[in-house]
Amino acid sequence: MIYYEEKHVWSILLRLYHWSLVIALIALTVTGFYINSPWTQTTLEGAGHYPIQTMRNIHGLAGYLFTAAILVRLYLLLFGNRQERIMSMLPLTRRNLRNMINAVRAYFYLHDDPTEVRLGHNILAGTTYIITFVMALFQIAGGFYLRLPENTFWQTVGVTLFSNQQHARFIHHLLMWYFIIFTVVHVYLVIWNELKHRDGVISSILSGNKFRPRRIK
Amino acid sequence: MTDTTQNADLNLQLNRRGFLKGCTMVAAALGISEAMIPKLVEAATSAERPPVIWLHFQECTGCTESLLRASHPDIGRLILEIISLDYHETVMAAAGHQAEKSLQDTLDKYEGKFLCVVEGAIPVKDKGIYCQIAGRTAVDILAEVAPKAAAIIAIGSCASYGGIQAAAPNPTGAKGVQDLVSGTPVINIPGCPPNPISFLGTVLHYLTFKRLPVTDNLGRPLFAYGRRIHDHCERRAHFDEGRFAEQFGDFGHRNGYCLYKVGCKGPGTFSNCPSVRFNDVDVWPVSVGHGCVGCTEPDFWDTMTPFYERLPDVKIPGTGIITDVDSAGKKILGVTAVAVGIHAAIGIGKKLINSVKDEKKES
Repeated sequence: MIYYEEKHVWSILLRLYHWSLVIALIALTVTGFYINSPWTQTTLEGAGHYPIQTMRNIHGLAGYLFTAAILVRLYLLLFGNRQERIMSMLPLTRRNLRNMINAVRAYFYLHDDPTEVRLGHNILAGTTYIITFVMALFQIAGGFYLRLPENTFWQTVGVTLFSNQQHARFIHHLLMWYFIIFTVVHVYLVIWNELKHRDGVISSILSGNKFRPRRIK
Repeated sequence: MTDTTQNADLNLQLNRRGFLKGCTMVAAALGISEAMIPKLVEAATSAERPPVIWLHFQECTGCTESLLRASHPDIGRLILEIISLDYHETVMAAAGHQAEKSLQDTLDKYEGKFLCVVEGAIPVKDKGIYCQIAGRTAVDILAEVAPKAAAIIAIGSCASYGGIQAAAPNPTGAKGVQDLVSGTPVINIPGCPPNPISFLGTVLHYLTFKRLPVTDNLGRPLFAYGRRIHDHCERRAHFDEGRFAEQFGDFGHRNGYCLYKVGCKGPGTFSNCPSVRFNDVDVWPVSVGHGCVGCTEPDFWDTMTPFYERLPDVKIPGTGIITDVDSAGKKILGVTAVAVGIHAAIGIGKKLINSVKDEKKES
């Protein structure tokens, strides 16, 4: 017999971070595709529609939202609650490493023990989020370098990381595809976990609470 | 408009008017006050001007050609008048041993005082045997001349960053001057070819202020390479308004719309081309309907190609597929979706099998 205990997992700041990121990513992807290859043609000259500038403005605004969200996540990685900190996301301890292996096995349908489900991220997910976090830092550096090319600081960062603007644009575009594919896998695995473990992982990103399974002895 | 097509009575002599005009143009390009023009003129006519050694390595002489364009004798003459060229393989009268002797004489006589201009990349692979002059490798010549120079001006993208010689797979191990020289100040005037005004501005700046102009992170003078082409482009209004040439020769192209969608690299390139322009007839690539290829940027043969596409192609490792970014992204997304589908199907299948088993157990 298993009963479920309600536990507070995600702070309000983390939930705000998550949904800011969702909004930012959708806006950035749509406007990003448009800026890369504008699919409209303004036929009426002098009409003052400025579609490219409108898209670039939205892209910039969403970029600042994305940056703010990533900065919040950086703060939480260092000073967040137990589930949110970097040490509970990476396979750096023996316990975490075992959890990562078990998570991989569970995803291959080779392992199934609901009581082993962690309150926070499983370590496989945690590691993926840290990799995504690093990708986001590159995306931010590339974005600011492309937007403020004459700013000495961003020029130094951009030239060091990407060598020139065109290469930065290329990497920026490739990383966008990383985020698209990440989103597909993330949404699928969240649904999978919800159905598998019944711990309320989907509602937890709205309410902050999960349901932890316990065996009655 | 002056007639620039008929050079029947081409006067190669630089008169005072042309000289002052040239100095004024350079002052404008440098962005310095007109009150400084007399000082520029003074520096340019001073008897203590440093001699110049001009080294040619792996190059096409296009940079020299561009400087000496006969369509504007003023600028070409001005350069030759201002700098006292002691060694320049293309324009010097001496040849063979005489030429090499004049190089040695300048090195001995003006050690630490002369300006060194390098045109072309330097191959370092296999002990530098891929570029030799008078039996000596480019690496050796540069190693001898560079430490004795007061400053080095790398003219053109090859001398600055290796240029086309350094494009992948870089068979001769070509490198730019800044990668090989330390201790002597190096300034880059990249471009394929660079604008003569940018070169002249750097020289005059050095003569007037006794130091090289301020540079960006890539060693290029900010007065010429500080602004992005896209931000000063005459077609920028079309970009903002969303009017594009979809392909060469179409309605948009004929009406002078933005060349962004046919691969213009102006948004990633730093140069004064849109404001200074070329050849005294006020043209530059974009004004005549061809997109910028980004020739002032490092590794532009590798990173700016394909020239007529927005972004470079990607190689999907292990498959040999070379395709554009978005179709690669869509393929990977497709594979991901299929993997997700299979994963879900296995999960559902397993659950069905288990429930059948449970039913059997119960019954």
